[in-house]
Amino acid sequence: MTAVMAMESVPVDTWHERVHQVKQRGFGFFDFLTAVDRNSFVEVVVHLVREDLSDSYLISTMLSNENLHIDSIETLFPGAGWHEREVGEMFGVKFEGNDMQKLLRHETLGLPPLRKNIVLSARVVTEWPGAAEPEIKQDGRKVGNPSRRRQRPPGAPESWLQQ
Amino acid sequence: MIHSFIALLPDKCTSCMLCVRECPAWCIHLDSHTEEVTDAGARRPKKINVLDSFDIDYSLCMYCGICVDVCPFDALEWDQHRALISDSRADLTLGITQLTSENDSAN
Amino acid sequence: MTRYQLAEHPTIEVEVITAGLACCTLEVEAAATAGLLLPVSGEQISPAPSILVISGTVTDALLPAVLAQIDRFPEARLMSFGACATSGGPYWDSPPVTKGIDQFADVAVYVAGCPPRPDAFVAALLDLAHSGVAP
Repeated sequence: MTAVMAMESVPVDTWHERVHQVKQRGFGFFDFLTAVDRNSFVEVVVHLVREDLSDSYLISTMLSNENLHIDSIETLFPGAGWHEREVGEMFGVKFEGNDMQKLLRHETLGLPPLRKNIVLSARVVTEWPGAAEPEIKQDGRKVGNPSRRRQRPPGAPESWLQQ
Repeated sequence: MIHSFIALLPDKCTSCMLCVRECPAWCIHLDSHTEEVTDAGARRPKKINVLDSFDIDYSLCMYCGICVDVCPFDALEWDQHRALISDSRADLTLGITQLTSENDSAN
Repeated sequence: MTRYQLAEHPTIEVEVITAGLACCTLEVEAAATAGLLLPVSGEQISPAPSILVISGTVTDALLPAVLAQIDRFPEARLMSFGACATSGGPYWDSPPVTKGIDQFADVAVYVAGCPPRPDAFVAALLDLAHSGVAP
């Protein structure tokens, strides 16, 4: 779509101000706002595009896991409100100034599902049939000399299985 | 070919476990053991895997065909046998006999 | 609301509520397109259906609404149509998805498939009819 994309990471307390400045520099089209779980912190990114689509600007900021608060940019781009509510539901980020009403998920559901520390308990509780080998039966019985390398179920990191 | 059933050709299966491990629904279960066989003229006996049981739980299966795709020996194949209907969920898990005889009756 | 009757067995009527749980519900339309079901006129929901078809993904959030419908018709037998309704199917590891409607209500017939083919839907209805459930 756009030829050039500028990227910048800003401290969280200048987030609103910086987005405002970039908008005033001509990046007046709000493309998307989303978040990435980097394990030790959550990165919030917003992508702004110049109205003639010639270039775009990606602004990101890092939120510590202990303080997932950030200023809403809904006053700058009303359309960002939905994106912020979605990030709130999926990553547990609170956007100050946004009413943060539930957008997609039922209110009874607990932890934000796109955080990497969320364990898919079904993948831990269910016995993975792939652990069996000619020397290892499905019930875990070992016969003969099974290979020492243990197979791990896909989509279930080691840390989940230890819990 | 209507993709409504995944049939097993047990003679081709080497119990390599690829299908079991790739299945996104974890709906294939396989048990096997090793046996030593001596070919005529061979100096030493060789070890082969022998299939003991092979089950597909069709109550979970999403018919994605990944197992058919990954099988290096074409031991699994699409079949046009009609979808399974049962009054018991346990009966939707099919073993070697059913996975192969269904195959015969459809063709 | 759409109403159909089985081409093969016209006394069996199928009513489709236009709020399907998931993609399995579309198999009814597929069956109609294939000529297995014939549309009939009539707007009224049957006061006492003999079979309820649970077709599609049931989430824990939606479960009370589904169970309320099941409770409304205590005489009706349940058909668990497709992998999702039976076991969670492709969403077997997803926290918000109910892993099988049979945890909460007795199921008379399970239809395997993701989704099951339209002829499987018709065959399951005929199975129940022959076992004396449907008219």
